[in-house]
Amino acid sequence: MSTTSQKHRDFVGEPMGDKSVMALSGIGGILGKKLEEQGFDKAYVVLGQFLLLKKDTEMFTDWLKDVSGANSRQAGSCAQCLKEWCDAFL
Amino acid sequence: MPMFVEDPANFSKSRLKSDLVAHNVKLPPAKSKKEVYVELHMQHIDQKKTVEFSSDEEVEEDEEDDMEGEDGENPGDAEMPDPSALTDDDLKAALLKHGVKAGPIVASTRFLYEKKLRKLLQSDGHHGQLNGAKNGMMYSDSEEEEEEENGEDNDAESSAEEENKETVEESDQADEESSQVQAGSQSVAANVYSSSSSSSSSSSQTFSITEMLKEMEGRRSLSTSANSERAFNGGNVQHHWSQSNRLDMPSVVNRTMKNQSLYYTPKAFPQEREMQEPVKDDFKHLFPAEITPSGIYATRRRPIKGAAGRPIQYMYPDTPVSPMTLQRRDVERRLVPVHIQILVFVTVTCLLYLIYVCVEDNTFSPIVSLLDNLNPGSNSGEALLHKTEAQDTPALSEWE
Repeated sequence: MSTTSQKHRDFVGEPMGDKSVMALSGIGGILGKKLEEQGFDKAYVVLGQFLLLKKDTEMFTDWLKDVSGANSRQAGSCAQCLKEWCDAFL
Repeated sequence: MPMFVEDPANFSKSRLKSDLVAHNVKLPPAKSKKEVYVELHMQHIDQKKTVEFSSDEEVEEDEEDDMEGEDGENPGDAEMPDPSALTDDDLKAALLKHGVKAGPIVASTRFLYEKKLRKLLQSDGHHGQLNGAKNGMMYSDSEEEEEEENGEDNDAESSAEEENKETVEESDQADEESSQVQAGSQSVAANVYSSSSSSSSSSSQTFSITEMLKEMEGRRSLSTSANSERAFNGGNVQHHWSQSNRLDMPSVVNRTMKNQSLYYTPKAFPQEREMQEPVKDDFKHLFPAEITPSGIYATRRRPIKGAAGRPIQYMYPDTPVSPMTLQRRDVERRLVPVHIQILVFVTVTCLLYLIYVCVEDNTFSPIVSLLDNLNPGSNSGEALLHKTEAQDTPALSEWE
C-alpha cells in the first residue's frame, strides 16, 4: 500500500519532539527555510497550524501552499504525514 | 443605509490586527496602543465598507427591496458580498450556513476561511443561476417553484439516461406511476445516487437511500429481489428499515425525507438541498472524492491506525520501525565488525613480530628457527629458542 517515503515513515514512527520542520515529509531545504522565516521553525508549530484548521488536510494544503510556495504534491505529502502522526499519537 | 457598520473601537486588539492583515494594511509596531489600530482600521476598512454600500444603493434599483431586506435582517441570513468585511463571528456563521464547520478564526486561519467562503459563494451563485436563484426561491410564488421542479426533473432524467441505460426504463415507469412530487424527489435522488455510483437498477423508484445502498451491496445476487422490493411503498419499506441494523444515520434521514414527501407537498428546491446534504454525508465515507454541488471536496477518511490496538508497525510491514529496534540496529552495526577487528589485530601482530625478527637479523635463519619452533619437540624447541636469544642479544649489542 505504502507509497510513503522513508522520511514519512521516520516522522510518523515516533513522537516528533523537537524536530525541525525539515523533518516533515515533503518539506525540503528551501521550503523549510521559508517556513522558518515565517516563524514556523519547529515541526510542532506546523502541527499547531494543522490542528487550528481542525486537521482538515485540504485547508492545510492550501495554507501551506500559500505560506511556503509548496506545490500540491509537497503540501499533500506534508498534510498526510501530519494527519497520520495525529492518528497515531494525538 | 448601511446597517453593518460596527464601531471599531469596540473590537478587540487581536480582531483589529487580523482585519488589518486581511486588508493588507501594514501593521504598526507590536506594542502600539489600541487607538493606533483603531485609527488604521477606520482609515482603510471603513472606507471600503462605505464604498460598497453606496454602490449597491445606486446601481441595483430593481433588487432594492431584496437588498434592503438583506441589510435589514441579521447578518446571518443573506449572502455576504465580501467575506473580508465580516467579523470573525459573522464569517463563522456564514460558513456554518453553507455547512462548513469552521475552526477558530485567528490571524493565521482567517484568510483561509475567507477564501473558502468566497468559493462557496461563487458556487452558490452558479447553482442559483442554474436553478433560478436562491433569492428568487425565498421571495417568489409557488408557480416558479413548480417550474423549477420541472426543470430539475428534466435535468435529472436526462442525466440518468446518459449514465445508465437500465434506469431509463424504470425511471419512465416511475414517472408514470407516481405523482409529480414523488417523481421530483425520486429523480433528484436518482440524480444524486447515479452521479455517485455506477450501479444499475435501484435508484429511480425509491426515495429511500438506505435501499439503494443495500442494493448496491447485494447487487449481484439480489438484483431481482430488489426490483420486487421497490414496488412496495410507505409503511412496508419503513418497517423493513427499522429492522435493519446497518447505517442508522441514513435510515433516520430516510424517515425524515419520507415524512416530508408524504405529509405535505414539499417545495422541491429546499427539499432537494436538504436531501442532497444528508446524501452527501452518507456517501462521504463510502465514495472517495465525489464532485459535490457546493464545491466542497471531501476525501475519504482513512481508518484510524493508532497506538490503541493497531500500531503503526502493521502499516509498514516491510520496515517495522520502533525506537528500540532502531537503537538495537545501531548497536549491532558496531558489534559485527568487532570480530573482524580482532582478526585483523592478530594478523597484524604476527606480521609485526615477523618483521621485527627480520630486522633484528638480516639472515633468513631466525625465521626458519621460528618455524622449527612450531614443530612438536619441546627440547629442540627450547634449545633453538636459547640459540635465537643468544643470537638476538649479540645482534642487539651490535645495533647499539
